[in-house]
Amino acid sequence: MLLIACPHCGPRDEAEFVCGGQTHIARPGPPETTSDAQWARYLFERDNPKGLHLERWLHRHGCGQWFNVARDTLTHEVKAVYGLLDTRPDVT
Amino acid sequence: MSAPEPLHPLASVARPGRHGPAGSLTPLHIELPAREIVQVLVRRDRSEDLAAALRRDFALALPGPGRAATGGDGVTAIWIQEGGWYLHASRTGEAALAARVAASCAGLATIDDQSHGRTMLRVSGPRAREILSRGCRLDLHPRAFGPGRATTTMLGHIACLVHQTDETPAYELTVYATLAATFLDWLIETAAEDGVEIG
Amino acid sequence: MTGAFRTTTGGRIDRARPLSFRFDGRAFTGCAGDTLASALLANGVHLAGRSFKYHRPRGILAAGAEEPNALVGIDRGPGRYAPNLRATQVEIHDGLVAESQNRTPSLRFDIAALADFAAPLIPAGFYYKTFMQPAGWWAKLYEPRIRAAAGLGRAPRGADPDRYTQRYAHCETLVVGAGPAGIAAARAAAARGDRVILCDEQAEPGGSLLAETRARIDGLCAQDWLAAALAELAAEPRVTILPRTTAFGYFAQNFVALAERVTDHLAVPDPNLPRERLWQVRAREVVLATGAIERPLVFPENDRPGIMLADSARTYLARYGVKPGCRALVLAAHDDAYGAALDLAAAGMEIALIVDPRPAADGELPRRAMAAGLPVRMSATVVGTRGRLRVHEAHVGTIGADGGVRGVDVVSCDTLLMSGGWTPSVHLHSQARGKLAFRADLQAFVPGATPQACRSVGACAGEFGLQAALGPATRVEDDPVREGGFAGALPHDRPRARAFVDFQNDVTAKDLTLALREGFRSIEHVKRYTTNGMATDQGKTSNINALAIVAAASGRAIPEVGLTSFRQPYTPVTFGAFAGTSRGELFDPVRTTPIHGWAVAQGAIFEDVGQWKRAHHFPRPGEDMHAAVRRECAAVRARAGIFDASTLGKIEVVGRDAAEFLERLYVNSWKKLEPGRCRYGILLNEAGFVIDDGVIGRLAPDRFHVTTTTGGAARVLSMMEDYVQTEWPDLQIWLTSTTEQWAVIAVQGPKAREILAPLTEGIDLSRDAFAHMAVREGRVAGVPARLFRVSFTGELGFEVNVPAGQGRAVWEAIWEQARRHDAVAYGTETMHVLRAEKGYIIVGQETDGTVVPDDLGLGWAIGKGKRDFVGKRSLSRPDIAAPGRKQLVGLLSADPGHVLDEGAQIVAMRDPPPGTPALGHVTSSYWSATLGRSIALALVADGRARHGQTLFAPMPGGAVPVAVTGPVFHDPEGRSLDG
Repeated sequence: MLLIACPHCGPRDEAEFVCGGQTHIARPGPPETTSDAQWARYLFERDNPKGLHLERWLHRHGCGQWFNVARDTLTHEVKAVYGLLDTRPDVT
Repeated sequence: MSAPEPLHPLASVARPGRHGPAGSLTPLHIELPAREIVQVLVRRDRSEDLAAALRRDFALALPGPGRAATGGDGVTAIWIQEGGWYLHASRTGEAALAARVAASCAGLATIDDQSHGRTMLRVSGPRAREILSRGCRLDLHPRAFGPGRATTTMLGHIACLVHQTDETPAYELTVYATLAATFLDWLIETAAEDGVEIG
Repeated sequence: MTGAFRTTTGGRIDRARPLSFRFDGRAFTGCAGDTLASALLANGVHLAGRSFKYHRPRGILAAGAEEPNALVGIDRGPGRYAPNLRATQVEIHDGLVAESQNRTPSLRFDIAALADFAAPLIPAGFYYKTFMQPAGWWAKLYEPRIRAAAGLGRAPRGADPDRYTQRYAHCETLVVGAGPAGIAAARAAAARGDRVILCDEQAEPGGSLLAETRARIDGLCAQDWLAAALAELAAEPRVTILPRTTAFGYFAQNFVALAERVTDHLAVPDPNLPRERLWQVRAREVVLATGAIERPLVFPENDRPGIMLADSARTYLARYGVKPGCRALVLAAHDDAYGAALDLAAAGMEIALIVDPRPAADGELPRRAMAAGLPVRMSATVVGTRGRLRVHEAHVGTIGADGGVRGVDVVSCDTLLMSGGWTPSVHLHSQARGKLAFRADLQAFVPGATPQACRSVGACAGEFGLQAALGPATRVEDDPVREGGFAGALPHDRPRARAFVDFQNDVTAKDLTLALREGFRSIEHVKRYTTNGMATDQGKTSNINALAIVAAASGRAIPEVGLTSFRQPYTPVTFGAFAGTSRGELFDPVRTTPIHGWAVAQGAIFEDVGQWKRAHHFPRPGEDMHAAVRRECAAVRARAGIFDASTLGKIEVVGRDAAEFLERLYVNSWKKLEPGRCRYGILLNEAGFVIDDGVIGRLAPDRFHVTTTTGGAARVLSMMEDYVQTEWPDLQIWLTSTTEQWAVIAVQGPKAREILAPLTEGIDLSRDAFAHMAVREGRVAGVPARLFRVSFTGELGFEVNVPAGQGRAVWEAIWEQARRHDAVAYGTETMHVLRAEKGYIIVGQETDGTVVPDDLGLGWAIGKGKRDFVGKRSLSRPDIAAPGRKQLVGLLSADPGHVLDEGAQIVAMRDPPPGTPALGHVTSSYWSATLGRSIALALVADGRARHGQTLFAPMPGGAVPVAVTGPVFHDPEGRSLDG
């Protein structure tokens, strides 16, 4: 059971959150200039790394806010928690 | 046609009196206060104006994250999210608090009456912290939580706004109204070792 | 007297409190403080179980959680049967009823022990190899027979009548294990002001101190020092001591699960107490003081009753006042076995011989043993034993310089004690994702680095001895260094003899080398092929020996072979503890609407929709479901019905950019929707598939009342928050869930207007003033209301939204009016039928996450000229724009009385050959009272081009011919909408 530090509420148990998958994925647009290949990449292609993963989490049973987490998928270590619109943190 | 009085979601299920073992343990005391609850979401860049309006009209200092505060005329504000609060007060009439808050905060915040959508239970007693810890993943120890602290978390399987109001300890637990009955059932079962007293 | 083998003094049992218990129907007497194992041993009973595969008679090997043989079932009455408990951990109480397992009809004579004679025919992988052919025999013959013979213990029958609770806890320091190292860590943490939880799986804290006989600590004997230290900890309010509590799982961020057994040890438990308590602890630091497990030695026929771990035998004597036998042979590869021999000899047990495979042993304890005159033979080993139900002789040979064994002497004994040294219990450290390092001197793995705030102390860290455990500030006397240790199989010259490695799973040294010969290299594969270290045992006594055997046979070093995973739970945990209060009515939260109580009083039959209880139909006396639904449907079409729609999701979207937000999210156009008007909205995901729908009303230029499906409410709000917070943070909008605030009462049917008119204030209900798809605010039954003119039945319809607390009163007021018009209350089934007659879809029924708006004939809803919305780009992806997609159609079965099965496949010919792909499937199917026949909706490839065709639904009783039609069966012109 992960312990995740919500940027607004502080450290909380994983049960309060929902994981939204990989973050920093820009929605391509507008539609008329987006190729099928670009759109398919946006819809379907995600990293599945062993190690550092940057991902979105929603504090659903808390403050209802989305935010970003840098997590090691092997050790479950949460390396950083940062805002949705923030740039990538300097972690490895 | 006059409006009927609102029916408390637990009116038909919360039987007053002692439930569970009649032992030497102090039971968990459960009360069902009739409160009006209003959700306030501040408009962009109007935080200071909103704070000033509530200070002026309710003698209330808006609390920050994880906190609650009660103003001079008995209105309590609880932080629920970035830029969002619940304001609650004793019920005085049909959407009375919502009307007062809307008048005070016109143009500064989005106001939604949640008096019927949320149900508050007040629990207290020397064993209250221990009993809540059977379903609450938060650290409720005085080192980490205490009077004036409030936050949304899970109790059992149910999302709940937990506000500690005093050192008894006493907590005000606010849940979705349609889950109130199942929440009370869970609370009574969870407190089975100690018993509960409703009323 | 509580057994012939009970000493007259010593130990921590209370000889003045005899307790009676039964084992396999036979009455025994033990003492307060006994485990079932110690009480049986005190009565001279070693035979305690039959092995899993070969049904060999097995005795009590150990004194703690590592016991692999003595698994018992405890019967505490109906529904209270617990299988697979280790007799070494079961505390006896007056009236305890225990039984052995895996034997028929009795422990002494087990018919399945024939398997033991067939053992040469049952090597590792036997089942995989043997039951392959002929293929058809598996399901009919092999599997049922194997299933009947498989499994360890029997599951309890009936519901568990006990109560279980859970407890979340936070502390600065969690100490696992209350032996000397754990107590020292807890004292240090308490002294610096930490909140401390100290848990121990045994009935009383103390660990090895409970059986310590030599050392003196700060001038006290170990038990006195222990009592003082525990009293000091217990007096500290920030310290919680949890006996009978096993830390069985270690998860991320120092989250540790503990199982506390609260009442099983009590003869008459307090009915208010839970049987068990599951603790879920989040600790700033975890100190693992889990100790070490003595390693058995692998020699031929090492599994007979009477063969025990040496230190366990010493523990039975020191802690329980039990002599394990009369005459012991000690096989000592570690100095501690000499200590055991000394203690047992002092208690009057005869030590026949100490056999040591090492060439020399010059430690303090071997020297004392020799000085005491105990017979010792170095460079020797045991090459065989005899005794069917109890060992009665051991065969001792000499290990030559070449490793061969020569000369066999027969030594008679009723007990054989062995010690291969100590294996640190690194299970929890490993579960914490800690690395392990091999120490050749210990022949064991010790904890290495961990990504968590976790450290190991004492024996589990490979730091043996009391001084190391207690630290330099505590003065320890007579705690000599003990050395030695052996891993792997001892040499012998009997190629056909079986030397057991994993007692619980009946794995022999030969099974492991066979696995290697058959090509298994990875230790994980060897484990699965041989079952070594699996199941409830998790390799506590067998892991290192198995690794050493595999290493030696494959010419690798032990660290190169690697280690198999230590899985949770460390020892088995009951399902009850995991479930806690989440059972029966509390299994999942139940949501009820404000009108629920009325429906209950009316005798409604409910269905579960997610967490909601919804009224499915309202049967009158004598009616079955079909009759009730037909009556309800007919009444709504002819007159009116009222329906509780409170479960609909409701989201208030407010702000300057509210219309722009909905424009970007939903397929429809919203900017030109006038305040006071509504529109049917369709929501896609980015892949273009329909995920939700609902009516959205514009209350003011900057305020929308959005409705969602019942099941979609939380999902849609999360999705809205997602786009607001991530994609469009520039938009000024605010979202509030108002699902709970409003009760929703649908009034549908030609009399709907007449029913509401007498109750409505401030709203002109007339056709011209209040058109279809409009919303007004006013009062209904005196209560402030949002009134929508919408229809999900095809009839004139209104949905009354009132504050939930007044919903019941408004419902009853409307019901009073409805009854004057002979209207009905209807449930979800009638709602489903009426909407299907109109071809209205239900998301999740007509859609399955692969359906785009055009498939449903809803392409018209997509806002013309909208540049973008969620999912728009996907609608022009090649596979979605391609012809041949499944489209919504109506189906009329040739026999109007035949109601198709929902989910039935649709094909083009009556008897398609196997492998023919289906054209589609039935999504909804009902008896329509309005049409007097069955109707169905279906998704069928190119369905709109097939109107008029006959297709088939293949069913077990023969294909059902169906005619394809449009999806609207009733009032296609929509005349009824205006009443």
